[in-house]
Amino acid sequence: MRKKHVLSLLLLTTGVALLVAATTVAAAGSATSRPGTVASTKAHKGGVLRIDQSSTDFDTVDPGLAYVTNDWAMLYTTQMLLVNFPEKNGQAGSELYPEAATSFPTVSNSGLTYTFHIRPGLKFSDGSPVTAAAYQRAWERNLSPKMGSPYGVNDQFQKVIAGGEAFLAGKTQHISGITAKGLTLTFHLTHPNPTFVSYLSMQWFGAVKPNMPYTTTGENVYPSAGPYYIASRDPGKTLVLKRNPYYKGNRPANPDEIVFTSNTNQDQSLLETKAGQTDMDMSQVPPTAAATLGTPNAPGGQFHVGPTACVIYALLNTARAPTNSLAVRKALNWGIDRPALLRLLGKYAGQRTDQILVPGIPGYKPYKIYAWNGANATKAKQIGGSALTNAPALNVIHSTSPAGVSGAQQMEFNLKQMGLKYNDVPTPGTVYYNTIETKGTSYNIARAGWCADYFDPFDYINVLLDGRSIQANNNTDMSYLNAPALNKQMDAAAALSGKARAEAYASLDLTVMKDYAPWVPYEIESARFYTSKRVGNWIYSTYFGEPDFNALTVG
Amino acid sequence: MALLEVKDLQTSFRTDDGVVKAVSGVSFELDRGRTLGVVGESGSGKSVTFLSVMGLVEKRNSIVSGSVMFDGRELLGASTSELRKIRGSRIGMIFQDPMTSLNPVKRIGWQLEETVLLHNDVTRKEARKRAIDLLKEVEIPRADQRVDDYPHQFSGGMRQRVMIAMALINNPEVVIADEPTTALDVTTQAQILKLMQRLQEEHEMAIVMITHDLGVVAELADDVLVMYGGRVVEQAKVDDLFVKPEMPYTWGLLGSLPRPNVITTRLEQIPGQPPSLLHPPSGCAFHPRCEFVMNECRVELPELRPSTVGENHEFRCHLDEEARARIWARKRAAMMAEDAA
Amino acid sequence: MGYFLIRRIFWAIFLFFVATIVTYLIFFVIPSDPAKLIAGRNANAQDVARVARFYHLNIPVWQQYWIFLWNLIHKGSLGTSYITRQSVRWMIGQDAPVTASLVFGGAVFWLSLSIPIGILSALRPRSLMDRASMTFVLIGISAHPVWIGLILSFAIGYKLHLTPIAGYCNFFTGNAGASCSGPIQWAYHMILPWIVFMILFAALYVRLIRANVMETMSEDYVRTARAKGASERRVMIQHVLRNSMLPIVTILGMDIGLALGGAIFTEQIFNLPGLGRQIIQSYSVFDLPVIAGVICFATMAVIVFNFIVDVAYAFLDPRIRLT
Repeated sequence: MRKKHVLSLLLLTTGVALLVAATTVAAAGSATSRPGTVASTKAHKGGVLRIDQSSTDFDTVDPGLAYVTNDWAMLYTTQMLLVNFPEKNGQAGSELYPEAATSFPTVSNSGLTYTFHIRPGLKFSDGSPVTAAAYQRAWERNLSPKMGSPYGVNDQFQKVIAGGEAFLAGKTQHISGITAKGLTLTFHLTHPNPTFVSYLSMQWFGAVKPNMPYTTTGENVYPSAGPYYIASRDPGKTLVLKRNPYYKGNRPANPDEIVFTSNTNQDQSLLETKAGQTDMDMSQVPPTAAATLGTPNAPGGQFHVGPTACVIYALLNTARAPTNSLAVRKALNWGIDRPALLRLLGKYAGQRTDQILVPGIPGYKPYKIYAWNGANATKAKQIGGSALTNAPALNVIHSTSPAGVSGAQQMEFNLKQMGLKYNDVPTPGTVYYNTIETKGTSYNIARAGWCADYFDPFDYINVLLDGRSIQANNNTDMSYLNAPALNKQMDAAAALSGKARAEAYASLDLTVMKDYAPWVPYEIESARFYTSKRVGNWIYSTYFGEPDFNALTVG
Repeated sequence: MALLEVKDLQTSFRTDDGVVKAVSGVSFELDRGRTLGVVGESGSGKSVTFLSVMGLVEKRNSIVSGSVMFDGRELLGASTSELRKIRGSRIGMIFQDPMTSLNPVKRIGWQLEETVLLHNDVTRKEARKRAIDLLKEVEIPRADQRVDDYPHQFSGGMRQRVMIAMALINNPEVVIADEPTTALDVTTQAQILKLMQRLQEEHEMAIVMITHDLGVVAELADDVLVMYGGRVVEQAKVDDLFVKPEMPYTWGLLGSLPRPNVITTRLEQIPGQPPSLLHPPSGCAFHPRCEFVMNECRVELPELRPSTVGENHEFRCHLDEEARARIWARKRAAMMAEDAA
Repeated sequence: MGYFLIRRIFWAIFLFFVATIVTYLIFFVIPSDPAKLIAGRNANAQDVARVARFYHLNIPVWQQYWIFLWNLIHKGSLGTSYITRQSVRWMIGQDAPVTASLVFGGAVFWLSLSIPIGILSALRPRSLMDRASMTFVLIGISAHPVWIGLILSFAIGYKLHLTPIAGYCNFFTGNAGASCSGPIQWAYHMILPWIVFMILFAALYVRLIRANVMETMSEDYVRTARAKGASERRVMIQHVLRNSMLPIVTILGMDIGLALGGAIFTEQIFNLPGLGRQIIQSYSVFDLPVIAGVICFATMAVIVFNFIVDVAYAFLDPRIRLT
């Protein structure tokens, strides 16, 4: 499982779909003037919120370079975006509202020109005003060749915005497609793009000072326009956020200060949280400790479990015998013990599942079509029939991490129950994905996981199962499923929007598992946090997989 | 009264394998200005005897009994501080291996001064002067410079001179020299022995010369103590011993002496191994190696009995007078014949 | 002395090359693609290629190594991190004092415990104290620093509230953003890590010192000292201790390298932002410049420290001449 994952731009731009599609468009109509509302107006203000970040640190805190979720969860508190997600629990938290913009943009009839009006009176943490130029600069810092952003950022956005490619090539001083006049900001696109507004909810495109330098190392301390600003930064160690004194918006800014301590030890951070020496670990609690932390999500409780957009599954290689047989794949879906695999991950690690999509994704419609309460070897043998009895040995590949080994052992036990032979193939973690992502790989069963980069079923079904994407290596379709009929259905679903889209994907979700069974999905992962006694107003964002830090209260 | 009077000294060590009786009932006397030669093989108990006298055997795993009277005072059971006043001051010791008997990380001068300062209320400067004087006395060239050298900068013979200087620096009444020349080459041996003789005359001290070499004894000693298996097997004035040694072990020692006129490829050795102190042989400890062994020897330990030759000449042997006289006469004749040839 | 220095310097240069070359080789022997790791899991081939270009990962290993050397010699630069984009030299400058606090403070702790106990148990072999210290040794040798660290911080930090559970404070005040600083807070936060080091190493040193002291006590020159009339106390202090400490100095010099390894675990457990934690973090993301930089620095540190030990040894033991 990836702890940090790349918010995939490739997918954002190529996905016909998008985003929050159903919700954003609806919101655009009805909520043009609705400001972001504070979840709890009575929230206690003040105090220092201390957050540990075990085993990792922010890669960078420069919004022009940041690209992993922990960076983004932090930047959420400092950035002022044109459109943003509100500090709300559940589905409401993923509905965009215009933050710095007075309203959602006016779009030209051609669909190529988007015009935003910036609210007057917005200020950076140094007191200077936020104007349209702040957003122009954010785009230019993303595309500037002087930033050298290596993350797949440039290759995509320069194609969206007019003049982007010339700017990236260093031929122009500014991106010709973006004009900033006072508080009016205009984007000219190369092609109509109905998802353009949702791009602007990404932390790359928050307001930065128009003179924020281009730098390959990234800025650590700089003025920002959100509820907080970065007061100090010691890479690898600490980050201190302080309340932006010039922030006049409605977003909560409850703690006076938020102190992040990075690269801590997970067990120790939990101990410190219990002792009140720190307030939480944003890298979650140790899996083994989850069972000892009481009932999750109790009112006023300290243990918080929230869903993530991550599904965990056993990949079945459809390009290699015996898992090239649908009967065998279906049999495995009956014969593998989902609850047992979940138990290996500690308590409240997630919910069991036998489908592709996860809750929160449009098109998620829960179903149970395979073994739900444990392995059913009898049923598996019945379904598998002769394909199962004549099956050659399966290669069970797994990483050499404890989780990799124990997961593989559980599955191998189930294979034995089904009368299958297997070869255990341990593989170092560093090459595990390389191996199974390479076309022609010899695995039959491999554990994998996928987290949503954005809330759309496209990000699961089309990305992971479209056989036309199969290349020599770096494959995302790691089960090597390539069914023309299915591909066609995926294209059709991707072209839809709104309710029709959701329904199309719900049906695809079922079709894939019923008629192709390329995976044995077994878990929807949860995020588990433990907070100190003094933390209140827990608001969890499924999008970041973290709480909204600025909304938390201390004391 | 003798200066040093040892009576029935017994020393045993507790080891993991059992009790080792290193010294069993050793008695002797040493008068002022005299030289006592103590002869025996390794493990005969000669060194342990004198370490016991000085209270230098490790207390924790050893038992020492008997009596050691020094100048009228009992040393066995005396307090450590009392013993310390005597050690290095009234009784000096010279050890066998000069290479290891000096502290490698301290300057020579420091080590000599320490001995002075431990027993005399003088300044370091005075002690240093005394140290240089003593180094001169033991014939170390450029003593005033070499006093600041470290032991490893000296040769073996020079180091032994330093050891001697250290033993003599407080004008002791007794110097116990434990095989002082064993580790040295022949020329150096002779120089050291000569030096000791000269110093003995100048300082008027008694010397205990522990050695396995009867030649050294012949040259230096007034009295001789022959030890075997932790016991005194023969004791005599040096002249008496050479005139009439009374027991087979002493004969063996005499036979193994290198003689200037005898060209042999190998010296006559006493065949066999020294006895195990952990499991000593029954009866006479020497019987397994004795060429004249009788049944009696295997059963009963011979008492020390007086010899017909010399005063205070005693020995342990079951052979009767006539047999001993006959055997010694034959051996001596053989040796003389070799010498003449 | 001059010859000794020159030889040492050549040796250091040689070791430096070996350590850095091995680091580079390991990276390229291990089948991994840093560019791909940096670019992220969903990156396409062009993305990976662009990242590779940006970080010079598209050129042969020996050229990368050459660039590393050139930057080091020419600009004194160890490059910049793939991940955080910070200067590696700056990162090491931040981390090294933490590790130094840990290792040297730990050494002071373990020596100040093991020297008296080692000597006492040498003076009274098989006594209760000797046996107790043997038990302590077994625990120290068998237990893993992570286990010791967790147990200590749970028992002493969490249950008894005597020390912080984890965390680090800068020795010098004035670092903005640090929640605590100053010598007292620094020492207060370092106590448990030091104790971990103490348990790990004191055990070994107690036995080492015990053996050395016992061996030295049976030396001829110690008997000489006693025969001179020196008191037991004087014999111990003037004759036994210095000689029995000589091998300890050498072993201490060698163990500093080992202690750097121990620092990896201890820093992880106690959230100490030192080199050990840095190298683990960097390894988990294949941040080659940081790993190479830290190894390079650690190599130099060990070489310098060994040099210091050699010189110290020469001062302690007149038999050693630096030729």
